[in-house]
Amino acid sequence: MLSTAPRLLLRSQRPGAAPSDAPSAGTGRELLALLRGAAAGTPAGRPRFDPGLAGGLRAWLEDAAYGLVALRGDDAAPLVLGPRHLLGGDEDHSGATTAPPGAPGACQGAPAPADPAPANGALEARLVHALFRQLVHTGTVGDPLAEALDALGATGATASVRAVESLPTSARDALAGSLAAQAANLRALVPRFASGWMPRTDDHVSIPLAGGRVVLQGTFDLLVGTPSPGTASLCALGLSTGGPWPRDRQRLHYLALLEALRSGTPPFRLALIESTSGRYGVEDVREEHLRALSSHIVAWLAREGRPHPSGGNRA
Amino acid sequence: MPDRLTEALCAPVRAPDPATWRASLGEAAATLARLAVRRAGAGRFRVTDHDIRLALHGLRDEAEAAPFAWAARTARRPLGLAAVRLLAAGAARSPAEAVRARMDESTRWVRDGSPGATQLDRWLAGLSAAGRAAVAAEAVTWATRLWCALDWSVLDGTPVIGRDRWWDSPHSALLALRGRADVRTDRASLVVLSGPRRDSVRAELALVTLVDALRGRRPATPGRVVGWWPDSGHLVRVEPEPAVLTLGAEGVELVLADAAPRRAAAAVRSAA
Repeated sequence: MLSTAPRLLLRSQRPGAAPSDAPSAGTGRELLALLRGAAAGTPAGRPRFDPGLAGGLRAWLEDAAYGLVALRGDDAAPLVLGPRHLLGGDEDHSGATTAPPGAPGACQGAPAPADPAPANGALEARLVHALFRQLVHTGTVGDPLAEALDALGATGATASVRAVESLPTSARDALAGSLAAQAANLRALVPRFASGWMPRTDDHVSIPLAGGRVVLQGTFDLLVGTPSPGTASLCALGLSTGGPWPRDRQRLHYLALLEALRSGTPPFRLALIESTSGRYGVEDVREEHLRALSSHIVAWLAREGRPHPSGGNRA
Repeated sequence: MPDRLTEALCAPVRAPDPATWRASLGEAAATLARLAVRRAGAGRFRVTDHDIRLALHGLRDEAEAAPFAWAARTARRPLGLAAVRLLAAGAARSPAEAVRARMDESTRWVRDGSPGATQLDRWLAGLSAAGRAAVAAEAVTWATRLWCALDWSVLDGTPVIGRDRWWDSPHSALLALRGRADVRTDRASLVVLSGPRRDSVRAELALVTLVDALRGRRPATPGRVVGWWPDSGHLVRVEPEPAVLTLGAEGVELVLADAAPRRAAAAVRSAA
């Protein structure tokens, strides 16, 4: 478990608010104002990060990864780890915790099909995610279910589309109702970013450790800002489609760590929006978030490398 | 990240010894000539970096099992490159605006029956607004990562964006090699990579050097090839050394050796 205390700058509604509670008008503008505002206690507007931090964290993670590789053997298939493995819960909306297509021996077991039909909860999350992307790029959603299915069809997720189309009418109506409610929340919550913010969705990050034999990966739902060497200049926005909130928040911290390992600096601010309740939170990234997540991953790698009672190791 | 990548493209290239370079190029050309003659009548072969990767990893069966289809993921590179071209020319102010402009162009071409309309344009024109938004989102992310990764103002000359180069064998009209690079400057080529880091990447990138050398056009001094994974920020540099030409020719040889039994098996299947 992580030990850092949350420092939420704002949460729009009380936790546990009923999904039908509509968020107050203008919350997207509030969220935008919070994302662009100066960080607490930092007159310059951007929190400072030790320039050596990313290198230090990488070295720590590399040591742990090499420890695991030593136990698994050099010839073992690369171990591809995403938030689902490391933090628990469902896979990314984009399915990013599966091995990239064509990865030689990536992940454990047989390669995953390109478009496996997800379970119902994951399917709904995927549809909501498609609506979120559409809102970021066009600002509008008309018929949520039809448009989410069109979006999935364009991404080649035909198994998911077929899974929805084969639902009984009552289940399909229920899904349409749930999507309509979540789309209403998202319309109010998702800010309209000026194009200069360079909003991009589904930015995939993949960090090879131990010469590529352990890979940490994840996908930002939304990144904004222009990368600037040596400066934390990005904001990340995560979409939660049903929580639990603490795990989704931890997933954002994990992604912030991956960005630090990729570019040397993490995003300076994170926002999490929940489509089912319409609540959101915004917080600054702090070095202790990154250290805590690294510590968690190091502990996970050490645990998985320990011999299993049935023989062999867990990973 | 932007600094390292721009630096890799702008750093001076150490020219190889001309005599050794010419000798290696001659050997590579001779290898390709033998392959072309041996393959006469076996059907057309276009060898790409992707083919080399599949051959080196023994993944051709999986690739053949999943035929190509346009989707947001397969459309993101052509749309993203067109968008970056608009950005570099100052014709768009952001990746989102540039992608939108390129997609609007597709619609116009298809609507007006332009002969320049491609399969991709026709596929895009057949999508609903929501489908197009999903495709645009994927292309915007691809374009933004490339656009933000480089300091375009310091690149040598006028960068050429997204123009693949082909070399057609003079010994057989059936054999062609493709050198894929996303950005080319006077002294270097940038290739945006996806998938995991892999041992085969140098052979994949060597094909770019080989095609440039075989075409024998300017720049007189062969350039460096830089492979870049946006997912991880990692770079791999392939300097223009004679051994790279050999590596590229060996990659092509491997692809063709791998493909021959497949074609024969396909011919037997179709005859049965």
